[in-house]
Amino acid sequence: MNPLLEHKLLTTRRHLLGSMAGGIGAIAMHDLLGATSGAPAPSLAADPMAARQPPLPAKAKRMIVIHLTGSPPHLDLYDHKPELTKRDGQDCPAETIAGKKFAFTSGTPKLLGTPRKWVRCGESGMELSDAIPNLHRVADKMCLVRSMFTDQFNHAPAELMVYTGSPRAGRPSLGSWATYGLGTENANLPGFVVLISSGVQPNGGTSSFGSGFLPSVYQGVQCRSKGDPVLYVSDPPGMSRAMRRKSLDALKDLNELQARELGNPETVTRIAQYELAYRMQASVPDVMDISKEPQQVLDAYGAKPGQASLANNCLLARRLVEEGVRFVHLFDWGWDFHGTGPQEDIRDGLTKKAATFDKPAAALIEDLEQRGLLEDTLVLCTGEFGRTPFREGRTSSGGILGRDHYPDCYSVWMAGGGVKPGYVHGASDDLGFKVAHDMVHIHDLQATILHLLGFDHTKLTYRFQGRDFRLTDVHGHVVKAMLA
Amino acid sequence: MRHFVWFALAVSGWSSAVITTAAAESGPSYTRDIRGLLSNRCVRCHGPDGEDRHGGGDDGLRLDTFAGATADLGGHAAIVPGSPGESELIARITSTDPDLVMPPPEAGQPLSERDVDLLRRWIAAGAAYEPHWAYVAPRRPDVPAVVNTLWPKNDVDRFILARLEAEGLTPQPEADRVTIARRLALDLTGLPLSLAEIDAFVADPAVDAVEKLVDRLLAHHGYGEHMARQWLDLARYADSAGYADDPPRTIWGWRDWVVRAFDANMPFDQFTIRQLAGDLLPDATLDDRVATAFHRNTLTNNEGGTIDEEFRTVAVIDRVNTTMSTWMGTTMACAQCHDHKYDPLSQKEYFQLYAILNNTADADRRDEAPTERVPWEPIDTQRTAIEQEIAAIEAGIPQLKKPAPKDHAEPPEFQPARKIIDALRKKLAAMPAVTVPVMQELAGDKRRVTKIQLRGNWQNLGDEVREGVPEVFNDVAVPEGAQVDRLALAKWLVDPANPLTARVVVNRIWERFFGIGIVSTSEEFGSQGELPSHPELLDWLACELIESGWDLQAIQRLIVTSAAYRQTSKCPPDLVARDPENRLLACGPRVRLSAEVIRDQALAAAGLLSPKKGGPSVHPPQPDVGLRAAFGGGIDWQTSTGEDRYRRALYTTWRRSNPYPSMVMFDAPSREVCTIRRPRTNTPLQALVTMNDPAYVEAAQALARRMVREGGSTVADRVSHGFRLVLARHPSAAEVDRLVQLQAEVLAEYAVAPADARQMATDPLGPVPADLDIDLADLAAWTVVANVILNLDETFMCP
Repeated sequence: MNPLLEHKLLTTRRHLLGSMAGGIGAIAMHDLLGATSGAPAPSLAADPMAARQPPLPAKAKRMIVIHLTGSPPHLDLYDHKPELTKRDGQDCPAETIAGKKFAFTSGTPKLLGTPRKWVRCGESGMELSDAIPNLHRVADKMCLVRSMFTDQFNHAPAELMVYTGSPRAGRPSLGSWATYGLGTENANLPGFVVLISSGVQPNGGTSSFGSGFLPSVYQGVQCRSKGDPVLYVSDPPGMSRAMRRKSLDALKDLNELQARELGNPETVTRIAQYELAYRMQASVPDVMDISKEPQQVLDAYGAKPGQASLANNCLLARRLVEEGVRFVHLFDWGWDFHGTGPQEDIRDGLTKKAATFDKPAAALIEDLEQRGLLEDTLVLCTGEFGRTPFREGRTSSGGILGRDHYPDCYSVWMAGGGVKPGYVHGASDDLGFKVAHDMVHIHDLQATILHLLGFDHTKLTYRFQGRDFRLTDVHGHVVKAMLA
Repeated sequence: MRHFVWFALAVSGWSSAVITTAAAESGPSYTRDIRGLLSNRCVRCHGPDGEDRHGGGDDGLRLDTFAGATADLGGHAAIVPGSPGESELIARITSTDPDLVMPPPEAGQPLSERDVDLLRRWIAAGAAYEPHWAYVAPRRPDVPAVVNTLWPKNDVDRFILARLEAEGLTPQPEADRVTIARRLALDLTGLPLSLAEIDAFVADPAVDAVEKLVDRLLAHHGYGEHMARQWLDLARYADSAGYADDPPRTIWGWRDWVVRAFDANMPFDQFTIRQLAGDLLPDATLDDRVATAFHRNTLTNNEGGTIDEEFRTVAVIDRVNTTMSTWMGTTMACAQCHDHKYDPLSQKEYFQLYAILNNTADADRRDEAPTERVPWEPIDTQRTAIEQEIAAIEAGIPQLKKPAPKDHAEPPEFQPARKIIDALRKKLAAMPAVTVPVMQELAGDKRRVTKIQLRGNWQNLGDEVREGVPEVFNDVAVPEGAQVDRLALAKWLVDPANPLTARVVVNRIWERFFGIGIVSTSEEFGSQGELPSHPELLDWLACELIESGWDLQAIQRLIVTSAAYRQTSKCPPDLVARDPENRLLACGPRVRLSAEVIRDQALAAAGLLSPKKGGPSVHPPQPDVGLRAAFGGGIDWQTSTGEDRYRRALYTTWRRSNPYPSMVMFDAPSREVCTIRRPRTNTPLQALVTMNDPAYVEAAQALARRMVREGGSTVADRVSHGFRLVLARHPSAAEVDRLVQLQAEVLAEYAVAPADARQMATDPLGPVPADLDIDLADLAAWTVVANVILNLDETFMCP
């Protein structure tokens, strides 16, 4: 083999071993991708998923997002408004709704106080509702933001806003930015894994975990608990592992002949990618098999091997980050509490739905902590937006209590990874219509997340169509008060 | 108009080191050395955006124009031509005071010594500004002289060779005939040639054998489909409407229009005019109206509780952006919210373009209105048959023409016929009509007024604007007093005076064949884009295109018959090291095939590919994922049967929220927005697709059966046959040996594992035909061999 090719091959192998840690800043990263000029990456001969150090000191090395698709009723989970309860059933004051448009409500809706009971939890005294009793245990580890707001009140644009910084499709998602910036620790697994429960895709489709204009190696890889854990990871029926190895040996020999003949570095890369695929075929099913977990761990999460549940996915998230996956994004459908059916009632409906979420979410935080992972694993739990302090228009005359979409003020929480534990950031006003103080916009949340991951959000950029794009567009401020 | 003297390019990034600048000794050139520097480091704050311009006097300091840079700032100026020492700009970029230094510390590193020196020398030489090269219409340059007059096959080669000779490089020899055949076939049709076609071409003694093959391929039934693929990316064509529920959309009639247009080699100016404004042509035909669906490929948001006007606005914005990207390689999106930071494009001008596209009847409706009904033979035949049956019954009993009387007074003898005719009418009413959403201009008081949307917010409106085009480009031709409409816009785009369209189009053609454009940033020709590697060649090709009457095939023929294109892609290591992206073209192209071609090639080699053209999109095998779209239907689909299982990838149903997974892994986009250039990655997940996706396993099984059936009786012959079916060339002895060895090893294992052998050979393709006399273990072993051939690096590359 000629010396250049040998060098390339060695370099590739080194990258695959993931040993390429150490001070690579944004500029070198661009070079790795051949991306400074926005020109096509020549061959990606160097591994774009190689683990990299971020330019700033990072508190979080990896991240797990729990997305509650549809948007949970924050006023019945996280933000207690006694004044709203007192005025339950009254008309909304004119100034709270003047000039505003709502998805399914017109006219003057009636205020809806929460039917939930509230508990002050832990040493912090964080007030949480009785719908999420398990999270009470971990309140002292949570950083609860009660002053979030966004610009969008339809599901798909709002969800794209949360994860891509823009309400329109086409931009890279948070997990793509994170893996673009940091690579991944374990080359034998995808660096950015997506797990979906409750049978429905994200509102933004695959764009909610897509790579946009970043190279497609950074798109989220959907893993499943039924069928192939990753699409096409299983050998065809009738082919044994030994047989696959034999066929790959032949493939490698033939590709090496080709590499010697033509001298194209891409061939060398391809040889390495096939070897990586072969290792993935073993490591992916292995990490996705939760039946190997001790019974008490399964019980803590409420996980049952073979099901597709949020409980299983929370446990899988822990297994994946433990194995070096950089970013795990969970989506769980069924949080659109309009009140159009009993499952969308903020009383019993919410109790039932929340039970499928708060137990595994609390278990995840405790499990991460026990394993020493919580301090550098950032967990975020959010929906697309919040829900109104009033009854949803279409369902207001029925017996089911539901709320409409609401972008102006809502709650999200984070834990671990350098956020201030047992802390409540910001507050809504008395009736929950507006942020009372310490407003946090989606772009501010994103800037803060990137800061925790070791990036200045204005500098983690990618040149596309002549412009340096970033997650936070031209906005965003790090919310310093939320940092530990 | 200024004529530029082009120096050797200076590409930024890692390839610049290998491309020497032949004219480095002469003074700095604005276009080559200064513009990019100012644009990247200064113009963001000191540029065209008047609302956000910093420094200087009341209007801020502007460094992208001579007038702005030399303006009197109260006794001093940023640039004093001829006097770097008096120029405030030099003082600021060399200052050590953090409050004074430019760019400010938060904007990154200070300018390098080299950059400072360039600016100093440029100012000393007079600080001459030049207009941005791409905003000046191309003029046909002289074809350069070359030393080696034997190598060029046409004028394209003279431009390439002149540059190579200046760099002291020599081109590589011509590739062998088989390689040229495979390269041409994959580039022009996206399909492999049959072995008979390859053999005939190799044996053709004619001096113009290549030209003749090119002509055959340009007339090939697969040509238009292959060309359409990229156009569908630009047009963001999909079979669903987008957003959360992402319901199905019927718009394939437009896709078929595009295929027909390419097959007919419709001149690009006509192709443009019909798609943007076919409905406004005098005597517009149904085809002309269907063509306008180009811009009906925008997303519609059917989620409950959306405001239609909001998402109609989003669609119009997308049309502005897509038009300017597709035709002019210009990113207008920035100017939606504010004046462009780098190019002279104002927010007002953005909304002047918006106004042109703001008066069509579509309005984010679920029913996609307005639509046109298009003929579709299978349905039309059935419809006609039912209509005839109804007419026949009505002729017999005219009373049945009217609905049955409410009082049951109808004679009992009519009852059986009444039942039949009611059923037929019901069936007719339920018959799906094939429609295509189209553009339809609003008239009279329905017309909308366009106002500037402040900060890009559709509810926050500023001044009213009239239809128009950006001033920096050519004038738009409309009769005195007439408004600029879509038709005028389309004609303006293909006006020879338009500085960009022809360049952008030839650059994309070049990019298809060589893997990288003459302008590498094919999506951006503005000041933030890259300079062309061969500027004069780009302009020459652009002029050729216009003068040929926008004949796309003529330009393609010119490029693929050139000596540059025909070179072997075997590249000496020192050349790879010097020019890793092969910008200088000292060797032939070697480019990874697109997702579509990788799949079509496998099916074609296996003998499975259906030649059927057009019609509704189909459902090839796709793994069930057991998910629904948010607020929408299931993602899983019923696999198409018969030949629809094996159609070209172009016809695969494209659902935006969940595009066909195996194609996505090979970098196919979601088609939610205009994609000018797909990335080409090389990943382990791709390996999993072509090794294990049942569609590829099925192709391996079918290929194995062909190898056995047609390949002769020896193991070596069968290996060679399979190799040739995929790669066109004969394998080397070493290659044959290695695959023969694999076949034997695998056969030994399958001989003792009959159940595995049966699965490997038949699942999912199906039982072995009775006339194929072969043992299942043997066939399973051949399937493994075929799977390896379909996974060779060479298989994925245009050679």
